[in-house]
Amino acid sequence: MNCVFEGNAVKAFGKAVQALSRIGEELWLDPMVKGLALRSVNAAHSAYACFHFSPLFFQHYSLGSGPDHSNEAIKCKLAMKSVLPLFRCLTSIERNVERCQIWISTPSDRVVIQFFCRHDDVLHIVNTWRQCAPHLLSIVTGITKTHNLHFQESEALQAVFASHLCPNVLKASARLLGDMVMHFPVSQEEITLSMTPLKVSLRNYYEREHDHLKIMYTEMSLHPDEFDYFQVGANSDITFCLKELRGFLSFAESHCLSVSIHFSAAGKPVCFSVEDMVLEATVVLATLVDSESRGPSQLTRTPASTTARCADAAALCVGPYEADCSTAHDAPAVMELIASSQGSPIIDSPTLTQFLPQIYNPGGLTAPDDACDGVNTTPSSTTVCSLLFKALSSEQDDDFCAARLPVLACYSDTEEDEEDPKGSPSL
Amino acid sequence: MKFRGKIIDIACLNHFTRVITTISKLTKMCVLRLTPDNLFFVLSGKVANGGVSMWCELSQANFFDEYQMEGVSSEDNEICLEVTPENLSRALKTVQSAKSVKVKLTKKHCPCLTIAAELPTLSSVSRVVTHDVPVDVIPRRLWHEFKEPSMPDFDVSIYLPPLKIMKNVVDRMKNLSNFLVIEANLNGEMNLKIETDLVSVTTHFKDLGNPPWGDDASQGGGPSQSRDPEAMAEAKVDIRKLQQFLMGQQVNPSKAMCNIVHQRVVHLILLHEDVSLQYFIPAVA
Repeated sequence: MNCVFEGNAVKAFGKAVQALSRIGEELWLDPMVKGLALRSVNAAHSAYACFHFSPLFFQHYSLGSGPDHSNEAIKCKLAMKSVLPLFRCLTSIERNVERCQIWISTPSDRVVIQFFCRHDDVLHIVNTWRQCAPHLLSIVTGITKTHNLHFQESEALQAVFASHLCPNVLKASARLLGDMVMHFPVSQEEITLSMTPLKVSLRNYYEREHDHLKIMYTEMSLHPDEFDYFQVGANSDITFCLKELRGFLSFAESHCLSVSIHFSAAGKPVCFSVEDMVLEATVVLATLVDSESRGPSQLTRTPASTTARCADAAALCVGPYEADCSTAHDAPAVMELIASSQGSPIIDSPTLTQFLPQIYNPGGLTAPDDACDGVNTTPSSTTVCSLLFKALSSEQDDDFCAARLPVLACYSDTEEDEEDPKGSPSL
Repeated sequence: MKFRGKIIDIACLNHFTRVITTISKLTKMCVLRLTPDNLFFVLSGKVANGGVSMWCELSQANFFDEYQMEGVSSEDNEICLEVTPENLSRALKTVQSAKSVKVKLTKKHCPCLTIAAELPTLSSVSRVVTHDVPVDVIPRRLWHEFKEPSMPDFDVSIYLPPLKIMKNVVDRMKNLSNFLVIEANLNGEMNLKIETDLVSVTTHFKDLGNPPWGDDASQGGGPSQSRDPEAMAEAKVDIRKLQQFLMGQQVNPSKAMCNIVHQRVVHLILLHEDVSLQYFIPAVA
């Protein structure tokens, strides 16, 4: 993959990286024919974000890697802490960087990010920041900063969310959403969004165990007229993690974009998306299940991590990665005590989270939940509505049986499965 | 017990918010006393505070367009609440553009001061934001702890230098020592001194002027004519307490004064048009 982008696009790209860094520790680069996707997911798998830049975003975009000219599109995973520092100071990027070039160099397993900076008639010698091979570059009329980042080849990551199946849809300018969330302190973890035909309200959310007496409760409500689009299919209250969303809202605000929100009942994920001519961005967040319907099959909470509270929430939908995602029609998976559409047994939560390492890298991700000991899952036992992402199986990857990976989500891709299993959103 | 107040003027709302923000920088918790004419934010000098006490008085008519209260009883027509001013400040800061802000005493999950704001929107219906700030009602038997402090029998009273300059000086001194000596005389001179084993630093302020208290303003004599104008009254205080006081000031007061009771207490008084703030820092040995 080789791409070049200039001017404001560099700032936009940087802002996208910043928003993604609020979600997870790793950045997936997924070059496709229809553009470059940057994705991230959090450790608890309760938040996923994707920024998809179409080829029009770039001055130059090709899937073949520069010097190799091979047509392979390498999908790879970078550590967020290697990439974020490069884009941390956007004002300095705006001032200094004329052009940015990113290419994937397969022989050396590197993603190279080069910044071409403006300076007049100055000779500089530049070293890269990374601990990989130091790279010296000097240019007479400008500065080029080259960063070589080691990547881990990886399967693509995709959360499939059937937004057209969601009964509730809101569309509002990012500015309005910013005005809504500013009433809550930056430290506020979770908020509850409620929708009825008469109003939309937001309030802060605290676990019951918290000391009621000391908490300040904030609630704000808006009239449907304030939204560009308001569709309420079913009254609902969803609780999700606000912290993870803020980076995305900031991105949307800086581009003056309208944000679409698709959601259904508590427990089902909520999707925030923006798009313009050259890019689209999506954040999918898990929502807390109603306390009344909590069953023993909930993911056990990791006490230390606050994001684990969101992990309690129902799943982000897992589906097979298809080249054309709009054909993915499925009932978003729900993590409750319900039978899957295939009628297979329901699995206890520890085994689900134990499954995580197998998807990405046997040695790689550690399971977020300490309660998981080495429980072996069998393909038949994992056909259950779940919290996980299904990775794209790639032919090169022999290490895990992607093709033999059991389907984790209750999705239907055949006619006979289309009768609504209990728990899918009613339309 | 009932309380309901409404602010509709943006300037009043800004000012009210700034006062509460200043208070929030001085103390984590304090007592709010509501009377028919005034609001008082009170911190009583307990060991827990390091002996620091505070008294802030606002005239309700200068802020509220509507103000109704019913105290505990008709003889004790007052309400005393313990509150975290930072919560109030945070709630008010988000609604600075409001068309109107109501503050009322409510009972939700616990007694609360509810701040309900109506925000302007492009559509016909306003946006409503409510913040429920939890409070604790203070029973009548404890009210004596929160009475207005009497003016101490000070030795010297002097106008303070510009607070910003004072803050800069104190900030730098804080790096060198934990204690600072404030001394002043009736000649308009004030010194801020620190002394350690290695270094001593003194900042001198001159021509500050002394408030003309006179006999009726002070108790038991006050700055008598017989006191040598050059003689310094001093008090050694914990520098962090002084710094905390100076850090919180958001608005330049119309008058800023300091009364020193020699080796006992430093009494700082800030007067704005409609707000007065008094802060007592005890001297250390």
